[in-house]
Amino acid sequence: MNIFLKGQSTDLSAVLLQREKRSHYQNQLEQRYPNKVVISFKLNIPGPIKNNDYLARIFQTGWRVLLSQLTGQVIEHSRMENALTTGPEAFLVVAGDLSQLKQLTIKFEDDFPLGRLFDVDLMAGKDEKYQLSRQDLGFAPRTCLICDQEAKSCIKAQRHSLMDAYQVINGLYANYYQENFYLFNWGKATVINAALAALLDEVTVTPKPGLVDPASNGAHQDMTAFTFIDSSLALRPYFVRAFELGQNFQGMDLTILFEQVRQAGIRAEQAMYLATKGVNTHKGLIFSLGIMVAALAQVTKNGPSRADRLRQIIQAMTANLLTVDLQKGLANQEDLTAGQQQYQRYQLTGIRGEAAQAFPMVFELALPFLGQASGSDNQRYLDTLMLIAGQLADSTLIKRAGSPAILAKMQAWSAEYFALGGSQRESGRTFLANLDQDFIKRNLSLGGAADTLVLTIFLARLQGVV
Amino acid sequence: MEIKKTAMAGTLESSDIQIMLSQGSNGLEFDLVSDVAKQFGKAIQATITDVLNTYDIHDAKVKVVDKGALDMVVKARAITVVQRALDMADEPDWKVI
Repeated sequence: MNIFLKGQSTDLSAVLLQREKRSHYQNQLEQRYPNKVVISFKLNIPGPIKNNDYLARIFQTGWRVLLSQLTGQVIEHSRMENALTTGPEAFLVVAGDLSQLKQLTIKFEDDFPLGRLFDVDLMAGKDEKYQLSRQDLGFAPRTCLICDQEAKSCIKAQRHSLMDAYQVINGLYANYYQENFYLFNWGKATVINAALAALLDEVTVTPKPGLVDPASNGAHQDMTAFTFIDSSLALRPYFVRAFELGQNFQGMDLTILFEQVRQAGIRAEQAMYLATKGVNTHKGLIFSLGIMVAALAQVTKNGPSRADRLRQIIQAMTANLLTVDLQKGLANQEDLTAGQQQYQRYQLTGIRGEAAQAFPMVFELALPFLGQASGSDNQRYLDTLMLIAGQLADSTLIKRAGSPAILAKMQAWSAEYFALGGSQRESGRTFLANLDQDFIKRNLSLGGAADTLVLTIFLARLQGVV
Repeated sequence: MEIKKTAMAGTLESSDIQIMLSQGSNGLEFDLVSDVAKQFGKAIQATITDVLNTYDIHDAKVKVVDKGALDMVVKARAITVVQRALDMADEPDWKVI
């Protein structure tokens, strides 16, 4: 893939003028905040294309990572300019020690996989050093993007072609966002917020076929978008608990961690029913998102990790799930869940099967798709939902339709939606609005696909792609 | 040409160069700071000298802080600082930014 095919070109004079503007803005900030550190944060991209959807995404991701590194610091002021053709840029004014903050931003530039594409400059007006260099703190100077030599000397000697640089940047992009993506060791607060935001994002996406959204309660007579807000907030303590369980778990047998999360999940169901006056809004997600949060906390407890490690943890946690839940003792249980009944009747493993395979729908299908999808957040989420719906054996849909035969129809509806242009075209949008009405009439709903969308948004938020 | 006022162009960002130009009476007096001065100090000085000669400036104090700027950047900053020092170009009104 080449991320430099789109975007408006800029020229040298615009770039140089923008540098001077930044420099003057920095001076103004230093005067306004004389005892604070001013951080200038921008991308460092060679060539005429300095901003487009991809580069903006890299910038947003870096910004989130940087802010997560500054948790606990007092941020006095921030300003971001996303849309400049000379490249996105931002400023932060932070109360803190210059050399301590500089070490932190050097760590960002060196350790964060996309860090090499950023320039983070720190200035402290009152500090006698004013601007610390990497060498002042005993760090090596920045190395070239392409070879191991010092960046400054390669740039000065123009040792590499723009195409070589593009190749490296494209590789970094693909490596971060697509294959086996990087997982930063976000703190608890960031992860919990991402989980709650993903729940609220999903209910806000409109119009979803048969599902509850702000415009309609779909094929669900007993709940509205407000019910989902209440329910989401009631789950906060549970996600905190799931995170802590994952972070603190020490043993080798991760099925024990799964059992701990599940016990916490049973209490969370009670909290949900209390908040919704007895309506099941998030039972599936208490299961799946709880596992995801705990696994994420476990895999990043000692530092950053990767998507494939997260998936290994999820698989290890759920190693006994299918045997215990679906195969053993189903006959003895009086009140089986919808998923258990469907396994009994149709041999469909549902959400348990997805979890046991470490959510292939999320990691292999939905997340790469969402990362590339364009348009507003609502459009990107709708298209992702319809993509999932076309491929998932959605247990809510099967239950409501009374037969898995509905899955073939759903696949055809999804294909038709994308053939009509999806959310990008009026024809696709009309199709979706009609499908929503049709679902409501037939009492159908995409509950399982909606849960998968939540898991996808949760990871996409942590990854910085939304 | 005579320099009318002290002027500055450029920044201390990486890959940039900051040049300050002021009146002098003893030829071109360079004060150059660069991380890559050993390799490129002479080239930077030559590029700036060329630009100054084009504008017929032969006496000036030139203070340079180089942060690894490409030759075309050195040249562009040199032209800007001369135009500002000669009152040929207005400095942008930074306050409105």
